[in-house]
Amino acid sequence: MSKQPVSRRQFLNYTLTGVGGFMAAGMLMPMVRFAIDPVLAHGGKGEYHTTKQKVDELSTKPTRVDFSYEQKDAWYTSEVTQTAWVYKNEKGEIVALSPVCKHLGCTVDWEGSGHKSQFYCPCHGGLYEKSGKNVPGTPPTRPLDRYQTKVKDGFLQLGKPEPQDIA
Amino acid sequence: MNWNGKDTESFQQQKEYVDTALVPLVPISFESDMKETASQHEFVQLLTMLLEKQFKGRILLIPPFTYIKQQEEEEKLAALKRWSDEIDNAGFKHKLFFTSDSNWKLAEDKIDGSLVWVPAVPLEHMEDSYKYSLIEDQAKQFVNIIVHKWQQDLS
Repeated sequence: MSKQPVSRRQFLNYTLTGVGGFMAAGMLMPMVRFAIDPVLAHGGKGEYHTTKQKVDELSTKPTRVDFSYEQKDAWYTSEVTQTAWVYKNEKGEIVALSPVCKHLGCTVDWEGSGHKSQFYCPCHGGLYEKSGKNVPGTPPTRPLDRYQTKVKDGFLQLGKPEPQDIA
Repeated sequence: MNWNGKDTESFQQQKEYVDTALVPLVPISFESDMKETASQHEFVQLLTMLLEKQFKGRILLIPPFTYIKQQEEEEKLAALKRWSDEIDNAGFKHKLFFTSDSNWKLAEDKIDGSLVWVPAVPLEHMEDSYKYSLIEDQAKQFVNIIVHKWQQDLS
């Protein structure tokens, strides 16, 4: 092994570059992180909750799917259970509708009280078609919200319910 | 609707649609039956919360009517009468009193409104998922009773 003596000038050069590099990195890192943060935010759609519903078992008839997750309300953590009416439409897409009536927030029922192929709200008689579209002449003025859906390992995952636009 | 700022605000705007008041009747005791009264509270509270969720747009869930278990019956009935008069004045058409205290069942004919007596199920050692499905099964029965009550009112 040959000895390579480091001169004073070289040593100072190395040291200053190193320290300078750290300082520059220290300043730039947060800036870069801030700049790319919107890109890193996953999906921006909030989290998805896994349900116990297997996607293969879904049919064209709406089935009730319950799912629960933890919710924080100030200091109070509670387990929230939510429901969705899930079916496959003609195109084979999964449709997950929120059961919350757009009138005053009751829970609607598929084919409740003998209303064929419609969602029925027991509170004030609101009706919705299978697509979630509100039936004119009944109290609700907007279609049922539709959940964002995802499939993971064959199980259905539901995101946030979002308003639908059906003409 | 729940007894909170947001829901009562929409209640005041949509008064004509909300015609049913749901009042849990809950006893309190620090004697030997303390645990019993506490689990009655737990059970009735969960059940009424679920019913409220189901019928949010037509039911207002009022904070429980609480009383001392050892209190004289006349006293309790008089206090409940004040409540139900107040609820009548607020314009509610239906009053539903939910309780697990069997003493009310014996005085049912003296109560103005519908009394629903449900024997409490001890929930303290139950797993959450099981607890939920049990309450849900119970609630389903009452969903039908409530809907039937509303329909009777129409005809």
